[in-house]
Amino acid sequence: MTSVTESRPPSERDRLRIGPVALALPAAAWMLAFFAAPLVVFLVYSFLTAKLYDVSGPLTLEAYRDAVTTEVNRTLAVNSLVVGVCVAAATVAIGLPIAYWLRFAAGRWQVLVLFLITATFFASYLVRIYAWRSILGENGLLNSGLERLGILDEPLGFLLYNRFSVSVALVHIFLPYVVLVLYAGFRPISPALVEAAQDLGANAFARWRRVVLPLIAAPAATSFVLVFVLAAADYVTPQFLGGTDGALLGVRIQAALTGSGNWPLGAALSFLMLAAFLSCYALTVILLRALRLHRIRFVS
Amino acid sequence: MTHPPFSTPFTRVELLRRSGLVVLTVGAAPTLLAACGGGDEAAAPEASGTIDYLSWEGYDIPDPMTDWKTANAVDVQSTYIGNHDEIQAKIKAGGGSYDLITYYQGYKPLYSELGILTTIDTDKIPNIENLFPVFKEADSRNLWIDEDGNWTGVPWTWGSIGITWDDAELPGGLDSWYDLLDPKFKGKVGVINDPLGAFTLTAHILGKDPSALPKAEYAEIEDFLTKMVGQAKSVAPSFGDMTTQLIAGDIVACYQGWAYQNSLAAGAGNDNVKTKTPTEGAFSFCDLYAVPSTSDNVDTVHAWINEALVPERNAAIAEYLVAAVTVEESAALINADTKALYPYDDLELGDSTGDRLAKLFELAPFYGMPPSESDEYITFSEMSEKWEEIKQSA
Repeated sequence: MTSVTESRPPSERDRLRIGPVALALPAAAWMLAFFAAPLVVFLVYSFLTAKLYDVSGPLTLEAYRDAVTTEVNRTLAVNSLVVGVCVAAATVAIGLPIAYWLRFAAGRWQVLVLFLITATFFASYLVRIYAWRSILGENGLLNSGLERLGILDEPLGFLLYNRFSVSVALVHIFLPYVVLVLYAGFRPISPALVEAAQDLGANAFARWRRVVLPLIAAPAATSFVLVFVLAAADYVTPQFLGGTDGALLGVRIQAALTGSGNWPLGAALSFLMLAAFLSCYALTVILLRALRLHRIRFVS
Repeated sequence: MTHPPFSTPFTRVELLRRSGLVVLTVGAAPTLLAACGGGDEAAAPEASGTIDYLSWEGYDIPDPMTDWKTANAVDVQSTYIGNHDEIQAKIKAGGGSYDLITYYQGYKPLYSELGILTTIDTDKIPNIENLFPVFKEADSRNLWIDEDGNWTGVPWTWGSIGITWDDAELPGGLDSWYDLLDPKFKGKVGVINDPLGAFTLTAHILGKDPSALPKAEYAEIEDFLTKMVGQAKSVAPSFGDMTTQLIAGDIVACYQGWAYQNSLAAGAGNDNVKTKTPTEGAFSFCDLYAVPSTSDNVDTVHAWINEALVPERNAAIAEYLVAAVTVEESAALINADTKALYPYDDLELGDSTGDRLAKLFELAPFYGMPPSESDEYITFSEMSEKWEEIKQSA
C-alpha cells in the first residue's frame, strides 16, 4: 500500500508569518557574527588580566576596579555625562521648533529647508570640526569679527579647547539627525488638532504644552537618548576641540586599547559606558510611562 | 662602497642602456653580468604578488616606487595607521596577514618581545651597503641591529625632534626647552599626544635614560611634563594638527616639534615656521622597514626594501616625504629644500656628511622605549597611563 502525502500550498497567513523572519535573517546573522560575538569576546576580555597587548587568566574584576577607582577615569566620565546631557538637551531644544515650523508653517520652503538640513551630511565630520576651530579660535571668525566691530579689545580665549567648544561642534553635528527624527514625529500630527485647541481657546503656550508636547514626547525622548549616547561616547571631536579640559571617556578607551595596550581596562570602560547608556534608556522609558506618554497614538 | 647594480628588472634596463648594452634582453642580462664578475655579489630576490602594508600613510611611498611596482607587477595593499601603537594593536589582535610594516627604533624592544619582528636576511638586501656608516654600526644606539649581528629592521628615513616655532611671532625662536615654561607662553605652547615621544624627550632633557628610568625618578619627568602640558591649551592629535594650530596663531612654539612641520606650513603658504635643536639636544627617530611575523611574501618585501635603498630612490623618498635620507649618496641628490631640513652641510658638526650625522645623533640620540615589565624601571604601560593622568591634571 502506498501512502501519498499531499503538501498544501502555503496559505496567506503562513506567508505573512515566514516573510518577516526570512527578511530579518541576513541582518540578524550579520549582527550576530560581527556585533554580538565580538561583544561577547570583549566582555570576556574585561574579566581577564592585562598583559601588554594581550590578556591572560584567571578571571578577575581588576579592570573594573581600575576603571572605577582611577581618578582620571572618573573625571572623564563626568565630562562625558555633562557634555552628553548638554548636547542632547540643546539639540532637542533647538530641533523642536525647527521641526515644528517645517511641519506646520514652512509651506513651499519645506522641501528646500529639508534638503539643506540633509546637505550638511555631505560635509566630512573632520571638515566640520576644523570649521568650528576656525570660527572659535583666538584669530577665528568670531573673535576677529567682534574686534573689528570694536566690541572686543582682546580675543576671547575661552571659546576654544574646552567642553564648550566640544558641545558647540557636537550640537552642530547632531542637530540634523534630531530635526529629521522630530520632523518624522510631527508628520502624523494633523494640523486640525492644533486648530481645534485654538478654537477651544488655548493660547500658543497652552497649545504647545497640552497638545503638541505630549504627542512629540516619545520622539523627543528618543532623540535625546540618541544624541546623548553619540555625544558622550565621541572620541574624535574632543581630541581636536577639547583641549586639556574637554576630553571625554571615549578618548580614554581608545588610549587603553591602542596606546597602553591594556585591553581589559578598555573593555571594562566600554561595558561600564554601555551599562550607563542602557540605564539612561531605561530611565527614559520609565519616565515616559510615568507621565503616560508612551502609548499616545497619532490621529491623522 | 659597493652598489650591487641590478636589484630589479627596471634598474637593469637603466644600467644596460648606460653601458651601451641595449642589444641584450632584460632576461639575459643577469646571466651575462654574473659572468662579468657580478655573480659573487648578493642580489635582491625576485619580487612578485601583493605586499600587505601596515603603517603611516605615505610610508608606502607610492610615487617613488611606482616604476618598481610596475616592472615587478607588485601590488601594494595599504592599511594606514593613525598612531604608531595601532601597528602592534592590529598585529596582536590578529586578523591581518601584513607583509611590511615600519617602526621607529624605540619600539624595537617591545616589538621583539611581542614577537612581531623577524630577522631580516641582509644577503637579500645588497643595497644595505649604501647606508651611511652611522646606520650600520652594531652599537647600543642602533637598536635594529641585535648583539648577534642580526637586523630586525632597515633604516630608510630618519628625523630629529626640536622646537618648532612661528618666526613671525617669535623671531629667532627659543634656544632652550625650558624657555617654553616661561609664563608669557601660557596657552601658547603646542604639545602633541605622543606619550612615548613626550616621555623620551623629557627624559633626555633631564639627563635620564628613558629605556631604564628608575620608578623613583619618574616624579621629575611627571613634574616637568605637567608644567609643559600646563602651558598648552590642547594636546594635538597629530603633527599636522599641531601645525594647523601654529599657522592659525593659537600657539607660537611646539614642544616636541619636527622639521616636517616647516614643510607642512610652507605648503599652506606660511614660510615662517622653523625648527631647531635646542642647547639641551633632543632625540632622533629612525624609521625602519621590517618584515612582521605575519608576512607571507617575505622575498618581495626584501626586494622592496632593497629598492628603497637605491640612492636615487632614497633621495626621491626623502623629497616625497620631506624627510631625511639614510643612503650616503642620496644626500647629494636631494633638492635644496629637503637638504635644508637637517644639517648635512653643517661644517661645525664634522668634515664629512657622515661625520655630521654622527655628531647630530650624539646631540639628539636614538633611544629605546621603557621595558614592558620591570620592578625596577618605569614600564611602557605605566608611562602610557601616567601620560593620560598628566593630560588631565595639567
